[in-house]
Amino acid sequence: MVNTHMAQRSWGFWINRGIIHALLIAAALFYLLPLVVMLLTSFKTMGDIRAGNLISLPAEFVIEPWIKAWSSACTGVKCEGVGSYFFNSVQIVVPAVLISTAVGAINGYVLTKWRFRGSELFFGLLLFGCFIPFQVVLLPMAQTLGWLGLANTTAGLVLVHVAYGVAFTTLFFRNFYVNIPSELVKAAQLDGAGFFRIFWRILLPISGPIIVVTIIWQTTQIWNDFLFGVVYGSGDTQPITVALNNLVNTSTGIKEYNVHMAAAIIAGLPTLLVYVLAGKYFVRGLTAGSVKG
Amino acid sequence: MAALEIDNVRKVFGSKTEVLKGINISIENGEFLILVGPSGCGKSTLMNSIAGLEDITDGRILIGGKDVSGSSPKDRDIAMVFQSYALYPSMNVRDNIAFGLEMRKVPKEDRLKEVDRVAKMLQIEHLLDRKPSQLSGGQRQRVAMGRALARKPKIYLFDEPLSNLDAKLRVEMRTEIKKLHQNLGTTIVYVTHDQIEAMTLADRIAVMKDGIVQQFGTPQEIYDEPANIFVAGFMGSPAMNFIPAPIQKEQDQLVAKVTTADGRTYSLPLGQRGAALKDYEGRQVILGVRPERISEVNITEVEREDVVVVRAKTEIVEPTGPDTLIHIDLNGVEVGCRVAPDSAVKAGEEMDFMVDLSKAVFFDSETEARI
Amino acid sequence: MSAEEPLQAAKQSGGLLQRMEHWIPKMVVAPTFIMMLVFIYGYIIWTGVLSATNSRFLPSYSFVGGLQYEKLFDNPRWETAYTNLGLFGGLFILICLIIGVMMAILLDQKIRREGVLRTIYLYPMALSFIVTGTAWKWMLNPGLGLEKLVRDMGFENFSFDWIVDPDMAIYTLVIAAVWQSSGFVMAMFLAGLRGIDNSIIQAAQMDGASMPRIYWRIIVPSLRPVFFSAFIILSHIAIKSFDLVMAMTGGGPGYATDLPATFMYAHSFTRSSIGLGAASAMLMLGGVLAILIPYLYSELRGTRNG
Repeated sequence: MVNTHMAQRSWGFWINRGIIHALLIAAALFYLLPLVVMLLTSFKTMGDIRAGNLISLPAEFVIEPWIKAWSSACTGVKCEGVGSYFFNSVQIVVPAVLISTAVGAINGYVLTKWRFRGSELFFGLLLFGCFIPFQVVLLPMAQTLGWLGLANTTAGLVLVHVAYGVAFTTLFFRNFYVNIPSELVKAAQLDGAGFFRIFWRILLPISGPIIVVTIIWQTTQIWNDFLFGVVYGSGDTQPITVALNNLVNTSTGIKEYNVHMAAAIIAGLPTLLVYVLAGKYFVRGLTAGSVKG
Repeated sequence: MAALEIDNVRKVFGSKTEVLKGINISIENGEFLILVGPSGCGKSTLMNSIAGLEDITDGRILIGGKDVSGSSPKDRDIAMVFQSYALYPSMNVRDNIAFGLEMRKVPKEDRLKEVDRVAKMLQIEHLLDRKPSQLSGGQRQRVAMGRALARKPKIYLFDEPLSNLDAKLRVEMRTEIKKLHQNLGTTIVYVTHDQIEAMTLADRIAVMKDGIVQQFGTPQEIYDEPANIFVAGFMGSPAMNFIPAPIQKEQDQLVAKVTTADGRTYSLPLGQRGAALKDYEGRQVILGVRPERISEVNITEVEREDVVVVRAKTEIVEPTGPDTLIHIDLNGVEVGCRVAPDSAVKAGEEMDFMVDLSKAVFFDSETEARI
Repeated sequence: MSAEEPLQAAKQSGGLLQRMEHWIPKMVVAPTFIMMLVFIYGYIIWTGVLSATNSRFLPSYSFVGGLQYEKLFDNPRWETAYTNLGLFGGLFILICLIIGVMMAILLDQKIRREGVLRTIYLYPMALSFIVTGTAWKWMLNPGLGLEKLVRDMGFENFSFDWIVDPDMAIYTLVIAAVWQSSGFVMAMFLAGLRGIDNSIIQAAQMDGASMPRIYWRIIVPSLRPVFFSAFIILSHIAIKSFDLVMAMTGGGPGYATDLPATFMYAHSFTRSSIGLGAASAMLMLGGVLAILIPYLYSELRGTRNG
C-alpha cells in the first residue's frame, strides 16, 4: 500500500521504518510475555519463584510441577491432577465436533441447494442462536439433562455442545455452499443422481477447506468452553478448563504457581497446537464465524 | 411426431409474478430450436421447465409424445449443457462424462467405451485424466457437451453455452455445434440472448419477451417478416431503423413521406403492400428498414421502382471494416445506413443514399404489430 | 427469478418415490429445526417463565410477576455487575479497536516478517479464557508478579496490586481481555485494509496527499464496516464474559468484579435463587438484542440499497 520509490528513500524513511518495526516488536513482546512467563514458571521450584522474578531463568530446571499438575495436584476434593480431565475434554470434543460438523454440512447443503418455502426464515432463526448469551438457556438445559439422565455426564455435555454448535457449523457450510454454482446440482439431477448422492459425490469432495475450518473452530470452541462444563459437569466428568480453574482457585494450602502454570499450558496446548498447525484455517473460521454472521 | 411439445405452459412464482404466460411451441425430431430474448424474458425458466428443474404452474410438456410435466428431471431423457458448464470439480473429465451413465447403472465397460466414443468425436481424448480446473474455457465447453452426448438423450438443452467464451472461440464453437447437429441429427433446444447465434444455428426461433413468445418461425421468416417492432428491433445487428412516417396517396398510389434534417421531402412508394396499408391513409405508421437496405447509389438497382434516392447530410460515420455505418436524420429520428467504405463521405457532408423498399416493413404505431 | 428451487416435481403424475424425494430435504433439516425450537426459543421462553416465579433452589411455578426484576434492580450486587459491564465492556472494546486498527496499519507497511508477527499477535485467541485468566492472575500477583519484576529492575517503590484492589481489579480484567482479543481485531482490520482498492490510494497520492493524511481521510473511514463488525463481536464477548472473571478474580475482591454473567451463575447455581438468576439472564439477552437488532437492521437495509 505504501508506494515509495527506491530513489526517494531518505533518512526520514529509515527513521519511519525503525519506529514502525520497534512498535511491532514491542507489541509482539507484549503478546509473548504471558506465554514465556508461564513456561519459565512451570519449570521453577517454588523457592526459585520466590527468589527470582517473572522472567528470571530457572536456577534449577525442574519437571516435577508438570508431573504434579498432570497426576497429583488437587482440583477441589480430589488430588489426581488434571490428566483425567484432559481425557474428559477429549471425550467431549471428539463426538461433539464430528456430529455438529456433519449436521452443519448437510444443513448447509439443504439451505443452499434445496431451498424450500421458509428455509430462509429457518436460517435466520438459527443464526440468532449464534448470538444469544448462553446464560439464557442454562437453567432449562440443566433440568432437561436431569430428565434425560444425562446430568453430570460427558454425553450430556456432548449434547449441549452439539445443540449450540450446529448454528455455527450450519452458518459455515451455508456460506461455503452458497458460492458453489447451483448448476452443479442441476447437472447431477439431470444425470440421474438423487439428494444424498449429489451431496456425497459432488458437494462433499469439494468441501475440504470448509470442513477443516469448521472442525478447527468447533474444536477450539468446545475445548475452551468453561460455562457449560462448570454448570453441567461435576466431579469426574468435568472438562479440563473446569479442573484448571478448580486447581488454581482452590483456597486450601499454599499456592503452587509452578503447578498452576504447567496445568494451564496443558489445558491450552491442544488448541495452541491446532493454531500453530492450521493457523490459516483458524483465522478463516474466526472471520467466517463472526464477520459474516 | 413432435419431439417436443410445449402446450400452453404457464409459470407463476410466488402468487403474482407470472414468468411464463401461456407458451405454445412444438418442434419435430432433429430440429434445432432457439429460444432468444432479452434477459428476464422467461427463456431460462422455460428451459428449466423443459428439464424438469422447475415445475410448471399450468399446461403440459410432452417429450416424444409422452407427457412429462410431472416427471423428475432424470426420467425425462434429456441432457443439458450449462452456461457455467457445471463440470463436477472433484472428478476428472472421464468421470464427468461417465457420471450420468453410472447413475443409470450402465456397466463399467460400456461406460468407458462410450466415453471414448464421445471424446473422439469432440477431440478431447488427451484431456480425459484432467480435472476441470486444469482446462481452458473452450475445453470445458467441449467436456460439457461430451457429458451431454454420452447419454444419447432424446433432447439436448443448451443454456447460453457460449456466453462465457471469448469472441473468437465463440464463433468457432458455434460452428462446431452446428456441425454436430448436422452430423448427429439431434433435437436441440438452445437458449441465448445473442441474436447472431440464433440466426446462424436455428431451424426455428422462438423470440420471447415478458413471458410471451412474440414470434415463432424460421430464422429467415423472423428476419424478413418480424411480427412486431420488438422482434424486428431485437433480431439483426445493427438494428432495424424505425421511422415514423405519414401515409399519403400520390398519383393513385400510397406512399410514405420522409423528410431530411434540411427539409428535403421524399415519397417512398409502397408498391403492392399499398393494399394492406390502405386503411392507414392519412395516418402515421412506423416504417421499418434495415440498415443494409439504405446504401450508396448503385447504378444497376437504382432503376427499380421500389428504390428511392435520398440526399441527406451524414451525421456520424462509423467504419467497421467490410462496410461503413452512416447515421442520417429522417423524420427526426436517427437512421443507420450501411454503405461501402469507398463511397462513404466525411461526417457533416451530404451524400446520396438509395433506399430499397422491397424488404421494408410497416408497423402500426399503436399496437406495434406488423401491418 | 429463483433458480435455486430445483425439482419440485411430484405434481400430478408423481409417484410415491418422487414425493419422498420432495420431502427428503425437509426431513434432513427437521432435527436441527426441532432442536432449535426447543433448545433456543423454547428455553428462552422457559427462562422467561422462570424469571416470573419465585424459584429458589429448584424451579417452582408460583408466579410472582415482575418481583424478581424489582429485586434485581434493588440488588447492589446487580448494580455493581452492570456498572462493571459498562466499564469493562467500554474500555475493552475501545482499547481493542484502537490497538487493532493501529497495529493493522503498522503491519500493512510491507513488513518482511509479517506472517510471524501476525501469528504472535493472534495466538492468544486460540486459548481458553481460563488459561488466559490463570496466566494473568499470576503475572499480576501483587507479591511475585510484575510488581516484583519492575522492582528488580531498580524501581524499588513500584507497586502494582490492582488485582486485589476492589476499585482497580476490574481494570486487570480489561488488560487480560485486551491481550486475548486485540490480535483478532487486528486481523479483521488487516483483512479490511487488504480489501481496499489500491487505485483509490494511488489517486489520492496523485492528488498530493501525504500518507498519514491518506490513512486518516480515506483508508480508516473506508474501514467503517470492519469497525461495526468488530464492535458487535467485542460487545458480544464482553456481555458473555464469564470464564475470565472466574479464573482471574472469581468476581472478587468481594463482588467488586462481578459481571452479569457471573451474577447469573452465582445466583442460579450456588446461591439458590433461580428466579433471580433467570431474570438476570433475560436482561442479558435484552442487552445483546439491544446491540444486535440495530446492527442487523442497518446490515439488511444496507444490502437492500446496495
